[in-house]
Amino acid sequence: MQNEQLVKDLQAILGSAKVLSEKLDLLSYSYDSSFMARNNRFVPDVVITPTSTEEVSKVMKYAFNNNISVTPRGAGSGETCGSLAIQGGIVMDLATWDTIEEIDAENMQVQMRPGVIHAELNKRLAEYGLFFPPDPGSSQMCTVGGMVANNSSGLRAVKYGTTEQYVLGLEVVLPNGEVIVTGGVNCRAIKNVSGLNLTKLFVGSEGTLGIITKIRLRLWPKPKARGILMAVFNDLEQAPQAVLDVYKGGILPSGIEILDSSAIKAVNEYKPDINLPNAEAILLYELDGNPASVKWEGEEVSRIVGLLAANVEWSTDPQRMSELWQGRAVTATAAARVREDGSRIFAGEDISIPLNKVTESLKKIKEIGKKYGIGVVNYGHIGDGNVHTAPVINPEDPEEVKLGAALADEIHLLAIAMGGVTTGEHGVGAVRSQYARKEHGAALDVMQSIKRTLDPKNIMNPGKLLPEEGNKHGTSTSSGS
Amino acid sequence: MALQQVPAVKDLLRKCVRCGKCRSVCPIFKEIKNEGAAPRAHVFLTQLMRDGELGATADVAERASRCLLCKSCSKECPSGIPVDQMVVAMRHHLHDLNNDTTKKLMLNHMFKDRKALGRARFLLQSYQSTGIKSLVQKTGVLGLVSKDLDKANKLIAPVSGTMASKNIPETAPAKGKRKIRVGYFLGCATNMFYPKRARDTVEVLTANNCEVFTPSDLHCCGMPHIANGDAESAAAMTRHNFKIFFDAGVDVIISDCASCSSMLQGDYYDQLFQELPEEIAHFKGKIYDLNKFLIDHVDLNNDLGQLPAVKVTYHDPCHLVKSQGVTKEPRQLLNMVPGVELVEMVGADQCCGGAGTFSMGHYDLSRKILDRKIQAIEDTGAEILTTSCPACSMQLGHGLNEHAMPLTVKHPVEFLAEAYRQAKRSTKIS
Repeated sequence: MQNEQLVKDLQAILGSAKVLSEKLDLLSYSYDSSFMARNNRFVPDVVITPTSTEEVSKVMKYAFNNNISVTPRGAGSGETCGSLAIQGGIVMDLATWDTIEEIDAENMQVQMRPGVIHAELNKRLAEYGLFFPPDPGSSQMCTVGGMVANNSSGLRAVKYGTTEQYVLGLEVVLPNGEVIVTGGVNCRAIKNVSGLNLTKLFVGSEGTLGIITKIRLRLWPKPKARGILMAVFNDLEQAPQAVLDVYKGGILPSGIEILDSSAIKAVNEYKPDINLPNAEAILLYELDGNPASVKWEGEEVSRIVGLLAANVEWSTDPQRMSELWQGRAVTATAAARVREDGSRIFAGEDISIPLNKVTESLKKIKEIGKKYGIGVVNYGHIGDGNVHTAPVINPEDPEEVKLGAALADEIHLLAIAMGGVTTGEHGVGAVRSQYARKEHGAALDVMQSIKRTLDPKNIMNPGKLLPEEGNKHGTSTSSGS
Repeated sequence: MALQQVPAVKDLLRKCVRCGKCRSVCPIFKEIKNEGAAPRAHVFLTQLMRDGELGATADVAERASRCLLCKSCSKECPSGIPVDQMVVAMRHHLHDLNNDTTKKLMLNHMFKDRKALGRARFLLQSYQSTGIKSLVQKTGVLGLVSKDLDKANKLIAPVSGTMASKNIPETAPAKGKRKIRVGYFLGCATNMFYPKRARDTVEVLTANNCEVFTPSDLHCCGMPHIANGDAESAAAMTRHNFKIFFDAGVDVIISDCASCSSMLQGDYYDQLFQELPEEIAHFKGKIYDLNKFLIDHVDLNNDLGQLPAVKVTYHDPCHLVKSQGVTKEPRQLLNMVPGVELVEMVGADQCCGGAGTFSMGHYDLSRKILDRKIQAIEDTGAEILTTSCPACSMQLGHGLNEHAMPLTVKHPVEFLAEAYRQAKRSTKIS
């Protein structure tokens, strides 16, 4: 179909204000944070901004009847090309549809449309003493719809789990335009084992099975107290042991973060005021709950960790906690500071490793970096084995781009070889589908048959999550990673 | 300077990871809500232009014009990218496409030097005071000439009396023993629309042992020019202005205009000068916003009279809070004045949508941003609005007028001056 006709048809469905077709608009929807998007231009044919289930349904019916691919999108803060139209077609920007429809404080639930920003949601919920615990680094910009589609999590997943544990039900528009509800959208029960769990099928499906148009989340009471402990290690190997020892002591912190020596250096160069101690590794433990338990747990974790660490600092002072936590918060960005002409790239950045293999993985990643002559800053959620790596290259040097891609490939394969997975929270998108067969084996065939059933024409975010059937090497798009 | 040579474009563009943090703080994105309006889209378009994937077209110029240069994104960018500098570079690169007659008139004739400003003021005052303005507004004739001229007609504050520069001596001696010789950069907007503010500035400085040198032959600071892509004019005016202060041997330069002090401090020097001229290098680190100078560098005279009780609120100009980090000083000044009760508004540090000529070119968008601000002001119940930028004063004054709110807009220094005068009056009476 000619673009002109496509635009006209969509304008007839949605009105012209909700259809973007100017070249500069389309270019602005051609990127996300991924290394792959940096090296390619994934320009959609048209962008639409629907704000009702009816509009989404009409568009999907139209797309289904005309074999046009549709890519749903939130804030475009992803790192895997998940919301990019790598095969062209329609990008459906749902970020403008940002209504919180109901806060049911008594039942500790909230119902909203997909474009609500995570930080905005928690700001509203705080008025009721409630919160939605998953806490991504992109809280200020990412949408809850995107979080559900990617099953994202963040710093506090150790104690509070990931998004999927909070989704009670969804409204979904299927690729053929049919609207279904799953789980608790039309009921208020928290426990529900009725029927196949379709909610979990859509959570983390990365927009490949349908468009999520309504979300009902379970909420938790906001903890009354919080404390942060910084432990400094002269020997990297002792850090993961200090994580396991705390668990063995019967304590579950709300977050345990690691910065290796390169990350410490990067943070100190970026924000000298933070002034982290130079060491092989730093662990940051966050404890939350009621004030008495936080006090006791802080003392106990200090004692346990103190047996291995060179130095331990425990604080409940808001100012000091903010300083310590900021050290972790700026790491992702600070990574680029280790090299003046460099930028960190989002490639091989989200592996998840068994807890007892984290040290080994960090050492091996450093070796891989040396092999390619690329500095790699390591940090992440060591409490659940989710390691973030930040390769720093000059992304405008074609040779380095090639090396960066090869390095990312080795990191992904290392994760699989160590009994881990290629992604813990950022998702698969187009950049990691090539590893699907290795990761899932025969289960991949079942995934593909589910996809075929719900999306027989393969119009729903094609080229993501699952490799094209019959393509042994995953996506056909040149990835750069 | 060619786009490729601008340091921000050459050295920092590659650092953008397109994380979208800038979206979350951009006032324009908050209204338009699609990715094309996000600051990272500006960075991306700059990259495409630099690499020759996009040509210099009217469409690109229109996109580049959709930025307030408020620096919200630059301040928050985790990678430290000065997005506003990229936008300025783009506008410079696209300058030849700017055919707006109103802006050309203003930038090339009104804001070039003091004589031109005086002539413009005379014409404006005649226009405003003879009833022609109301006739023009009723007929809507300006809209036929230029869309922006019609908007400018609504937005420009009334001029009254004479220009400040006519009533301020070139050198005003310190009232006590001179401790410092201050160069007062009297910006065009304060000079033309807020002459009382300028007089109060000099009065407060001289009351605090400062000798104040206010040159009569200053040019515009260049901010409107650089914001509209005319870097050459901005550079020439900056050189001219600094030479005057250098030759006059002042110790520091101050301004009561956030935009002027921000420009003088060097927000865009990298784009204006390959190497910093000696006169400018001499003053690096010696240019202050008036509020900051009074709090940090003057042992303030505390002989302040009691003013009638009044509730005021303060709006942070972007060029102070985001460019210079000045936020507590104006509040400290207000809190010093007996009778003044300062109440904070929600989002005091959020842009008012003015941004100089932006509000003319994008009036409707600017109004949406302004209306949020006016609502925040109304919610405080304040009787007077204070701010430290004449451009913000004008925009906020327009908003208050449109909402039929009877608040006046003042600079904190005006309260201080009034309190000094009140103290003197009280002494005489007693």
